[in-house]
Amino acid sequence: MRKFKVTFYPDNKTVEVEGEKTILSAAISAGIYINAVCGGDGVCGRCKVILKKGKVATQPTRHITAEERKHNVYLACLTEIQDDLEVEIPIESRLNLEGLTQEEVNKRMAKDYSTPEDIQQVEQKVSQGFRYFPLTRKIFLDLPRPTLNDNLSDLERIEREIEREFGITVQHTGLTNIRTLGEILRSSDWKVTVVLGGAGVSPEILFIESGDTSERNFGVVFDIGTTTVTGQLLNLNTRQILGTKATYNKQAAFGSDVITRIIYAKDANGLIELHDAVTEDINEIILRLTDEHKVDLNDITMVVCSGNTTMMHLLLKVDPTHIRREPYVPAFSFTSILRASEVEIRINPRGLLFCVPGIASYLGGDVTAGILSCGIHKQEKLNMLIDIGTNGEIVLGNRDFLVACAASAGPAFEGSGVICGMRASRGAVQKVKISSGDLEPTYQVIGEIKPQGICGSGYIDILAEMLATGIIDRNGRIRQIEHHRIRNGEYGREFVVASNTDTATGSDVVVTDTDIDNLKRAKAAIYAACTILLKHMQLDFSVIEHIFIGGGFGTYLDIENAIRIGLIPDIDRNKFIFVGNSSLSGAREIILSEEAKRQADEIARRVTCLELSVEPGYMEEYMAALFFPHTDLTLFPNVKI
Amino acid sequence: MVTPLMLEKWSGKIAVLTIGATREDGGSRAHVIKIGGQQSLPFLFQEGPSPHRPVIAFEVWDVYPQDWQESLQRAYVYSLKDPIVWAKTCVEDYNEQILCLRLQGIHPDYGNKSADTEAEFIKELLKKVDVPLIIIGSGDDVKDNAVLPICCEAARGERCLIGSAVQDNYKTLVASVLADGHNIIAESPIDINIAKQLNILISDMGLSLERIAINPTIGALGYGLEYAYSIMERCRLAALSGDKTLASPFICFVGQEAWRAKESKVNDDRQGIVWEVITATALLQAGADILVMRHPEAISKVNSYIANLFRE
Repeated sequence: MRKFKVTFYPDNKTVEVEGEKTILSAAISAGIYINAVCGGDGVCGRCKVILKKGKVATQPTRHITAEERKHNVYLACLTEIQDDLEVEIPIESRLNLEGLTQEEVNKRMAKDYSTPEDIQQVEQKVSQGFRYFPLTRKIFLDLPRPTLNDNLSDLERIEREIEREFGITVQHTGLTNIRTLGEILRSSDWKVTVVLGGAGVSPEILFIESGDTSERNFGVVFDIGTTTVTGQLLNLNTRQILGTKATYNKQAAFGSDVITRIIYAKDANGLIELHDAVTEDINEIILRLTDEHKVDLNDITMVVCSGNTTMMHLLLKVDPTHIRREPYVPAFSFTSILRASEVEIRINPRGLLFCVPGIASYLGGDVTAGILSCGIHKQEKLNMLIDIGTNGEIVLGNRDFLVACAASAGPAFEGSGVICGMRASRGAVQKVKISSGDLEPTYQVIGEIKPQGICGSGYIDILAEMLATGIIDRNGRIRQIEHHRIRNGEYGREFVVASNTDTATGSDVVVTDTDIDNLKRAKAAIYAACTILLKHMQLDFSVIEHIFIGGGFGTYLDIENAIRIGLIPDIDRNKFIFVGNSSLSGAREIILSEEAKRQADEIARRVTCLELSVEPGYMEEYMAALFFPHTDLTLFPNVKI
Repeated sequence: MVTPLMLEKWSGKIAVLTIGATREDGGSRAHVIKIGGQQSLPFLFQEGPSPHRPVIAFEVWDVYPQDWQESLQRAYVYSLKDPIVWAKTCVEDYNEQILCLRLQGIHPDYGNKSADTEAEFIKELLKKVDVPLIIIGSGDDVKDNAVLPICCEAARGERCLIGSAVQDNYKTLVASVLADGHNIIAESPIDINIAKQLNILISDMGLSLERIAINPTIGALGYGLEYAYSIMERCRLAALSGDKTLASPFICFVGQEAWRAKESKVNDDRQGIVWEVITATALLQAGADILVMRHPEAISKVNSYIANLFRE
């Protein structure tokens, strides 16, 4: 095969590649990262490059305008190299932020590189009442001093005291602790705090501190989502929640969905970059939380992370390649309790990390945690959990069986992939009403400030209200109505929720045809998955006792509106329990209870996984659900059209 | 003992669609065509009445159909050069009761005829032939949206069947069909859900369900016929079970699909005819109400097949 030289500007880097490779793959070989959120499928249109010299073969794409074509703009991922090339990568196509002014960086990366911020979410009211026994415990020991008669070694003295006072047999103590033991015991006058970690009756001694620090034992739990990373700081002694913060997962810069990231992980430094991105998010959240609540990093002894299988692989820097290849087998589902520092999470250097065990490649620890926190595995009656995230996960079961599936819904309800979307944090429109007379919207913003964007629950309200007032048709298209809030924009027709004079950003907050399309697909994927799961078990919605709704919706979710748009089934409203981030709640149960951890392990083993991609009826159900509220109105008898 | 035949009773009924308007209705057609009205699956007369027979519409183009096979062209004894002559041949020589006019000539690749030229042509055609008309666009959304409304207006009062509305482009056409008193073809890509969604969207705009014909999109024998068949059958079952939003008659573009089959192109004249006949008769069993066909001989064979089915 012929080889060609490709030179990239402004980097002035040259690589030699085989013909028929794309410019994108040449750029990756050169170590230059071009923005390609779709992973090179020609879908996102972000990887525009300018051809300065040479011959290429390209495929037609709607992302290149006629004007751009005239100026030799190509999509790097669709363009094959057929000659020695000189290629310029324009600023907006670059992934690395060097060479950009701060203003440009802020503007472009407002989403991907936002700092952690307080988020609003409901705290699950139903705690499952697991026996309190945190995964790391600090115990204060006032040791009897050694004498000629009681001349047990320092280490055995500690172990004996723990056994005597607490009935716990220590299994293991690290060498680093033993090395400093003699000095610590004597300088602290035999009054020390021992940090025990791990599950079961035979834990290890993590570290020993002089004096009594047993009052200060903290842990952090994380829900690592494809789109959002959420962390919560807990006082492990009092079980009190100190604060919750969230940020967009920085990995988004390498692709918005797990598949793209798995592909990216295969590139030269891909895995390391993805790992670093998420640990950076985690460490930032921990730092913010500890700063705000005046907690010493050294007093954080435990981290529990819950997330989908790919996120857990990337967090642990484990190659996730086989997750996306048939037969979709992950490298691991269960891990033992690890040292947090091993994966570069910065807490006490001897602190621990537990990853909630996953079920299958597309059903991760977040689902396990969700089941645990809703207690589905303990109920006699049938319950369902619908977790609305980038991957919509649905669980159905009771104490006798658990079956689950994952539907790729996309991140629209998380406020990503929609023009004015944002998390449920300060400045997000979370509640909307549209007057049926003059079509004027009124809205409620988190933090009661000027709106910056719209979060998931806001979108649900807007869709429902637009349907009710006839602004959109049942297909989700904005109608041609003469109204000052309805106009044509870059992404089809749009409805102005808040005009620039009323917003915090100075630009209009709008909902577009394209947004509605994305939201419609997301809700259809989730509803279809619920239907298929029930059909698979030869059941229907009527037999379900409770439906738990999870997702990053803030403190508020209008069940009626969610039904009106067909996101959730039209059944007795009292059956719905809104649980917010159930993955985070599950992680919290686990960090506080060794019993919860054991049950999580058991749940992960018990769940049967239904693979929607091989389920013959899924596509059909999905198409039927791509309508508001549904093509089959008899399924929504209480929805008035 | 003879087991008695199990007869199904259906609660639903297919809507009756009327194409064409006579002088009394404010039009100028010699007769009207009614389709639909069935209360059973096709030709199960014991289960429920089928008051209107399926009909076949000759496909006529507004331009010379240069890509048609030689054998197909020969069948019309070279009358195809002039669309008016072509249409008159169908009506007078073959005694056809309804025509399907395809405005292929407005397509940018087929002459890019203007809306005004086309409107004039339709007015002329309406004077020269007196059968009800089906008028369909060229498949180019932009051009169809520009031309079809003008054509609707030119044929105002004639209660034509106009097509095709698709899910991403239906509003313009529905609006002009409403304004000028025609019927509409709702086209969906072999998908029962989209068929239903489109019918709902159209009726939400104020065009009643009785004025819609579903084009379910079909494939010829060997080219997806069975997919089309099962979608049509499922639509019918839903409609007969009481789903009004799917209770529209079907229009199937048999000619265009059958003559696209490789078998029709490479072999002798006969094979294309056979292909068109088999595709058409299979679709009749799936519930087709209007068959748009091309070869006169195929049309005559399918016509006698229908007549046989309805023989008392």
